[in-house]
Amino acid sequence: MKNAVGREIPEVVGGRTLRPFEGAFATRASGRKAARAQKGIGRDEEKLLPSLDAALEATGLADGMTISFHHCFRDGDALVNQVVDACARKGLRDLRLFATALFPVHKPLLEHIESGVIGRIEGSMNGPVGAFVSQGGMLRDPAVLRSHGGRWRAVEAGDVHIDVAFIAAPQADAYGNANGIHGKTPCGPITFASVDAQYADQTVVVTNDLAPYPAHPFEIQQGWTDYVVEVDEIGDPGNIASGTLQITRSPTRLRIARLAADVVVASPYFVDGFSFQGGAGGVSLATVAYLGEEMERAGIVSSFAIGGGTRFLIDLLHRGRVRTILEGQAFDIEAIRSLREDDGHVTIDPGHYANYDSRGSSTYRLDAAFLGATEVDLEFNANVNTHSDGLLLHGIGGHQDVAAGASMTIITVPALRGRLPVIVDRVTTVTTPGEVIDVIVTDRGIAVNPAREELRDRLVAAGLPVRELEEIKKEAEALTQPAGVPVFGDEIIAVIEWRDGTVIDVVRKVEGWA
Amino acid sequence: MSREAVAGSDGRGDCVVRVSAAKSLKITVRCGNPPLLEPGIRAVAERTAEAAGVSGAAIEIADSGALDFVLSARVEAALREAVDGATAIGVAPQRKPSRRDRLRRSRLYSPGNNPRLLLGIEMHGADCLLFDLEDAVPPAEKAAARVLVKHLLATVTMDAEAWVRINPLDAGGGEDLVEVIPARPHGVCLPKAEDGDDVRAVAERIAALEDEAGLEAGLVWILPIVETARGTLHAEEIAAADPRVVSLAFGAEDYLRDTGARRSWEALLWPRAQLLAAARSAGVQASDTVYSNVDDDDGLRSETCAVRDLGFDGKGAIHPRQVPILHDAFAPSEEEVDRARRIVAAAEEAEAQGIGAVTVDGRMVDRPVVDRARRTLALADGTEGGGSR
Repeated sequence: MKNAVGREIPEVVGGRTLRPFEGAFATRASGRKAARAQKGIGRDEEKLLPSLDAALEATGLADGMTISFHHCFRDGDALVNQVVDACARKGLRDLRLFATALFPVHKPLLEHIESGVIGRIEGSMNGPVGAFVSQGGMLRDPAVLRSHGGRWRAVEAGDVHIDVAFIAAPQADAYGNANGIHGKTPCGPITFASVDAQYADQTVVVTNDLAPYPAHPFEIQQGWTDYVVEVDEIGDPGNIASGTLQITRSPTRLRIARLAADVVVASPYFVDGFSFQGGAGGVSLATVAYLGEEMERAGIVSSFAIGGGTRFLIDLLHRGRVRTILEGQAFDIEAIRSLREDDGHVTIDPGHYANYDSRGSSTYRLDAAFLGATEVDLEFNANVNTHSDGLLLHGIGGHQDVAAGASMTIITVPALRGRLPVIVDRVTTVTTPGEVIDVIVTDRGIAVNPAREELRDRLVAAGLPVRELEEIKKEAEALTQPAGVPVFGDEIIAVIEWRDGTVIDVVRKVEGWA
Repeated sequence: MSREAVAGSDGRGDCVVRVSAAKSLKITVRCGNPPLLEPGIRAVAERTAEAAGVSGAAIEIADSGALDFVLSARVEAALREAVDGATAIGVAPQRKPSRRDRLRRSRLYSPGNNPRLLLGIEMHGADCLLFDLEDAVPPAEKAAARVLVKHLLATVTMDAEAWVRINPLDAGGGEDLVEVIPARPHGVCLPKAEDGDDVRAVAERIAALEDEAGLEAGLVWILPIVETARGTLHAEEIAAADPRVVSLAFGAEDYLRDTGARRSWEALLWPRAQLLAAARSAGVQASDTVYSNVDDDDGLRSETCAVRDLGFDGKGAIHPRQVPILHDAFAPSEEEVDRARRIVAAAEEAEAQGIGAVTVDGRMVDRPVVDRARRTLALADGTEGGGSR
């Protein structure tokens, strides 16, 4: 059947019945949450185990079970590979890997997929694992990709039952309290895993820095934790930035950032108390810097900003231009330091900021948000998952949650990436529907969603280069020969969920290119 | 005799093209995303070889995201160096000539052989774009650069005025002209102009090339850069040397080197004032030197205001971020615009009624005042419609 963005969605995939996407805010939750079993412990019980192998024994991890991880060391993560290696040593098979996100550092998993240790993956796949899966990489069932809020919802709703959660903790005590902002290798908040820790049948905290009781803040709590393991290495925080944390020097990208900031300034939202989300890409960093200058000039204070926290956002906090930063994941050392020191810098979890099936989300309080995309189309749909070659190379992150929440969602993209036009007739994969995207800012001009005529008029009145999306597309296409396109097979290799658990698109196997 | 030749670089938006002799056309392509991109790249290379009259050559392309016009330029440059009988590819002019008195508040420099910096340079709202074949291009890249700028001029549409800074005539400037004039830039910027003969020599070459290409005569402007002691002393004859001259530009860096002066407002005041007077006496515009500290917005702003007060019409920029600052500084204040409107309105009314003398705010307004008021209004319009941000 076709869903509300015109994508053909099969009724059943991998034994699972799919609900087609009906619209950004079309569904309402019902039923009860899927809590873990009750368990209490005696007053003398200890939780410390000598090794990951011992933890596998203690938890009784078995074939076909689901293991989960958080991704806040990003491309520096060292836990996923260690645990899966241990599972392979133990002879386990057909595990379902439910990490919030996988990165190029997880390339060794390919071997474990081929050998059958891992049978299924749910979660973001950035880089080689995604490319492998896209080309028919031997998973038993298609992967399922969810947004930050969507993953939280899926765990609470019982769509995904976690057998054992492994939580990399830069600091933990032996009783299972843990956090990510202290210790030898702080990676920033590990609250992404707090839903895992509360809903998994068993929770194992893995740390490289065992601290005296009580280790705090209590991002992960003793009442949720079954076991604690100390290991030499859980991750390299040098890689949390993944090399993105430089303001771009490219004149093209600086122009995009400048225009994005100008859109905010010209919008009705740029008044005292306005709120925004600032990401960590090179364009977003420059946008935040420009926005800071504009707030200074206009004498405006922002009520709150949602991170990824970076030194640029922290700078605005210190200068009193932003009153509160809500932080789900830190993107540099400055942000982590600020979390330890600054009152106005508050750790949150995805349930707080992004959960569709909840009684409130911070993103719904956002005025403006800046997001990227690999492609956008003439319906204003955005793709962040696949590239124009059809390969699944990125996760959703908070894209859907922030886009759906913010009053004005701005997508910043260059009109051309190398020889590839970024504005296309139909995006390869719909990650985020055009109905929640208001403005697309490119180096060749600004396009406003036709549903936002009043916003368009304001931008035109401010002298900004507002153009039709199609016109920008044609201008870019005139500069290159048309590129080839992927040829997709019938086999579905991944399901892209909207944040409410409905399916907005599926990704099919790439058979070749034409 | 044939030899191997290389053009381009591995920088983003560029490609390295290596050409050697071969009996038939052999094209190999290395690029990201080969299944998507290789066929297009191959098609451009084939088309380019055909246009250059080459049927036998081994062309190796290593692509880093080059657009079609960049690929064409690199292939053409390498073919012409490596293959005897390869000819320059003809291009058709695609832009309308500009008015000699148009707004020229900013002239944004862009190195002529760096596709990454050339691409999208037209999006920054500068009044004039200046594609540099001189100082920004190392000697070994001069040939490839002029081919690249030719293809850029023939391909990319832009609202801004498109200028090419050529090398001095005794250092490759003639070859620059041969290459780019058929693509008809709005103008040619002549560095190190020392006297009227320098300008006339360039004007004659341009006229001959216009004729050869079948272009309407006299539509390519000249912007001489005065940047030596001798040039400064001859500014008046440089400005008046040829009707193609629409503006004089000042180049401080070379002037300081030539005179031995140390950089200060005072040391540069006389050449600036001399150049301004020379320009005005010939009825042309005057444009100031670049401000080389890209990170110093305040310094740029105050220097620009100071040269505006000397009478300058514009200034050079070496980074897009400088453009809006220049436009702001050259924009007249609201009071100035208001007064200019009243002067022009009064003058038009007087003209309509056949009255000679005009008074505004109780003061006599004569012809130069009216002209200046018109210029003020043009500047104000430029700011409003020019997309200075």
